[in-house]
Amino acid sequence: MRTKLLVAATAIAALGGVSLEALAQTKPDVLVKQRQAAMTLQGKYLGPIGAMMKGARPYDADVVALNATFLENLARMPWDGFDASTKGEKSKAKPEVFSDAAKFKAAAEQLEAATAKLGAEARAKNEAGVRASFGAVAKACGGCHDNFREK
Amino acid sequence: MEAREAHVKVWDVPVRLFHWLLVLLFAFMFFSGKAGSEWIAWHMRAGYAVLALVLFRVMWGFAGSTHARFSSFLSGPATCLGFAKKLFARSPAPYAGHNPLGGWMVLVLLLGLLLQTSTGLFANDDLLNEGPLAALVSKATSDRITSVHVWNFNLLLLLVGLHISAVLYHAGFMKENLIGAMFTGVKHMPADAAGSAATRFASPWLALALLCVAALAVYLIVQRPF
Repeated sequence: MRTKLLVAATAIAALGGVSLEALAQTKPDVLVKQRQAAMTLQGKYLGPIGAMMKGARPYDADVVALNATFLENLARMPWDGFDASTKGEKSKAKPEVFSDAAKFKAAAEQLEAATAKLGAEARAKNEAGVRASFGAVAKACGGCHDNFREK
Repeated sequence: MEAREAHVKVWDVPVRLFHWLLVLLFAFMFFSGKAGSEWIAWHMRAGYAVLALVLFRVMWGFAGSTHARFSSFLSGPATCLGFAKKLFARSPAPYAGHNPLGGWMVLVLLLGLLLQTSTGLFANDDLLNEGPLAALVSKATSDRITSVHVWNFNLLLLLVGLHISAVLYHAGFMKENLIGAMFTGVKHMPADAAGSAATRFASPWLALALLCVAALAVYLIVQRPF
């Protein structure tokens, strides 16, 4: 009796484990949405800083600090969405994202480093530092798009 | 052909300057559009110049010298077909201005460039750059227009390729030096064909004035001071 119960419990646990694992597998289209959403938000928070750098909008240290901090966090969010399971999904990601994964990872890390620096300068309310580190962020965005995103 | 050759001036200075400036700018637009995000600012500036040039050329097509006018080089289907037959038979069919097919090519190229530059005004690069009118439309609309901008460029490349091939065909098979004429403005052609080439040249000052109007129009579109 006790053995039977144990077998049943193990079986249920095993089944549960399998289905949980299946549930934990995020669907490829959701992954694409995830990384696109992260990019959309990056653009949303980068835009005002860019406008300030161009002089199209007056410099506002508080807005820069908030946006740069969001950016710093957002810069880490898209990458696990570039899972191999998304290869067949419709998106602007070039095949090089997967075929040249090392270079893609380096490009991602470049953005993370650049936004971390920008975030630190922004929170320190150091306008000169923000201006000096902004270029590297724009360059990281553009460089990665040039190599890994279809026009 | 050896009988009697006339040297006829057909292309005025504005048409020639327009043509070669456009060639240079087109090459630069090609390069700067593909070279990556660091060139976008210059791509946009040069695009404004292309738009101004095209607007000028459209106005010159109504107010310019004889052979610059649309009315002088856009002909009906019968004329085009007749010319096409001569073209493929490689029998000489010299025209002082644009030949019937070349005339339509001018219009198609101008329309293609107009579509290219106007879509560029609404385009965005998903980074920090967007055309001066992109703010007027939603992001999704701007994205769609950007796709048109990308695809229409391939069409333009095809048209330019066709245009150059036709000019080379004329040079190789019909012994017509169209390229030289676009530099010097002068065509060498049989005297009897040249007789019909009475050309009235419009004032270069009018051209300058129209170019200023075109430039002002582009300035107003880009800066939107109102």
